[in-house]
Amino acid sequence: MPIILTESEAKALLQKVLKYSKADECEVNIMGEERGNIRYARNEVSTSGALINQNLEVQSAFGKKVGVATVDEFSDEAIEKCVRRAEELAQLAPENPEYVGVLGPQTYGKSNGFFDSTAAINPDVRANAVAKSLELTRAQNLTAAGFLENQKGYRAMMNSKGLFAYYPSTNVNFSLTVRTEDGKGSGYVARGYSDVNKLDTAAATNVAIIKSKGSVGARALEPGKYTVILEPTAAVVLLENIFFSMDARSADEGRSFLSKPGGKTKLGEKIVDERVNIYTDPANPDLPSSPWSGDGQPINKMSLIEKGVVKNMFYSRYWAQKNNVKPVPFPSNVIMDGGTATLEEMIKSTKQGILVTKLWYIREVDPQTLLQTGLTRDGTFYIENGVIKYPIKNFRFNESPVIMLNNLETLGKPERVVSTESDRNYLIPPMKIREFTFSSLSDAV
Amino acid sequence: MRPFFFTRIQYTSGNWDTDQRMPSNLLHSLVEYTTIPIDEKEKIVQLISNEIFKSPFCYLSGHKLVEFSSQERDHFKRYVENGGFVFVDDCNHDIDGLFAKSFEQEMERTFGPKALQKIPNNHPIYHSFFKFEDGPPTTSFELNGWGDDLVHDYLKAITINGRIGVLYSNKDYGCEWDYDFRNKRFLAVDNTRFGVNVVVYALMG
Repeated sequence: MPIILTESEAKALLQKVLKYSKADECEVNIMGEERGNIRYARNEVSTSGALINQNLEVQSAFGKKVGVATVDEFSDEAIEKCVRRAEELAQLAPENPEYVGVLGPQTYGKSNGFFDSTAAINPDVRANAVAKSLELTRAQNLTAAGFLENQKGYRAMMNSKGLFAYYPSTNVNFSLTVRTEDGKGSGYVARGYSDVNKLDTAAATNVAIIKSKGSVGARALEPGKYTVILEPTAAVVLLENIFFSMDARSADEGRSFLSKPGGKTKLGEKIVDERVNIYTDPANPDLPSSPWSGDGQPINKMSLIEKGVVKNMFYSRYWAQKNNVKPVPFPSNVIMDGGTATLEEMIKSTKQGILVTKLWYIREVDPQTLLQTGLTRDGTFYIENGVIKYPIKNFRFNESPVIMLNNLETLGKPERVVSTESDRNYLIPPMKIREFTFSSLSDAV
Repeated sequence: MRPFFFTRIQYTSGNWDTDQRMPSNLLHSLVEYTTIPIDEKEKIVQLISNEIFKSPFCYLSGHKLVEFSSQERDHFKRYVENGGFVFVDDCNHDIDGLFAKSFEQEMERTFGPKALQKIPNNHPIYHSFFKFEDGPPTTSFELNGWGDDLVHDYLKAITINGRIGVLYSNKDYGCEWDYDFRNKRFLAVDNTRFGVNVVVYALMG
């Protein structure tokens, strides 16, 4: 049996698994994927790797007693053993008061996240893509360290009530750090796509090269509040903490930035600038994603924040039932609208400010205000009268993405980015922000 | 009662126009926590102007040189000795920096060599409205790799007849409180509370 199953193969396998079930309810999830990677450092390829994985997960329930077992061998014997094990565990388990049972059949939207171009990537393709990058850095006496990883796979689920879901996808992520020979200049770039034909490693490498050469001889500026232009790679690592924190239960229980005194929440309130629109849309051609969530709920286009107002929070099926509202699944992708300005235009319109290539090592300081801390890295520049004047020493920042989106000056054209923290892909605009708080200097390049 | 108004002192030697959002943020705190009526507009007064004698509270800050002209010095001295209050804040947060050194020299010239003294951390100013049991609250700028990178666990003052006339800080409160007041609602603890203490103390005469 192949690792990556077609829809009909997945359906047949899932039906076979369910035939073994003797539980009141049974839900089965399967996944299969093939990954390949190439890693380079000090201008040489150091590793070339491949990973093949498949997994089957059975969840059995007797009333509210639930057990889960997994297996990665798909023979009849192994499958039956896995189903029995899930049932044994369920019988042993105490009742789970939050178990709400499995969903019946659902209708899902169309989303095309599987590209033959990406699925066809082999070690040669990866080596050639990296060779294009290495030619450029070697020719200019710069040192490159990077990683290119491609993935193709599928997920499918079926349950004893007749629900069936299947979603195949492909992805390629490329990231690169370029250093100058003396180690004093550093540049970074990351690119992620569903379709590898959109990946141009040479063009991406040139971005990191320009930043590395430009960041030699950085001067220290006094930490404080500055107007910043955050490139999407920098902005996304702060913004994704908003997306991750929009769960209704944490808001209701007073644990999140959407909580209000007295057990109330900020749902329906304007919390950021009215130009902020953040939503999920699995059918977006630039960021296709699964039209169904882990528990089988359909994911359709839906606003999270619309014109600055909190439109939706995520409700698990249990919490929705408890509160008499409709469940809202966690999204499979997140998109933020922007404007039409290019990064260059945003720089040109800046009297005084700082261009930030990347923020990294993000850590939460306070979950109730979403205050984060982290550092700039790989190209931080001072802008004066619309031009980049000189590179500056890196800063530590302390800032909440909620405050940041209240201090919004301009949004640029959104682009697909990879979060250096979570490795997820998003569509995020570059943004100009007033009064961004740099709290101290950092000695790192 | 006449509304309280925030006066910023404009002096000739250095950059006096720092922390531009701070005054409205501090005024917002006065509205939020006290019943003191306020004038929403910040007043900028030249130290050489007689207008300074109409202000119950003045603020002076900067990063650079503080060296008063003879008329500025005369006004500053008369204003303080006649019951005025000046809150001086060092934007460099650096006791060896230009602002700190030159301001302290200027105070020596104006009030004598020992006029500027550390005040104890149980001084009434730390209890005038909110309670600060450990003395002056720290700021996020003190250990930031800029300036002297020390936490200054004291404030200094020139005391006239048992009352502070010049309150002097190397903590950079001005920068700490320099943000759009509308974003205050996102802070876990309002960091401008000590500013309310300073104003309330200044007004209590």
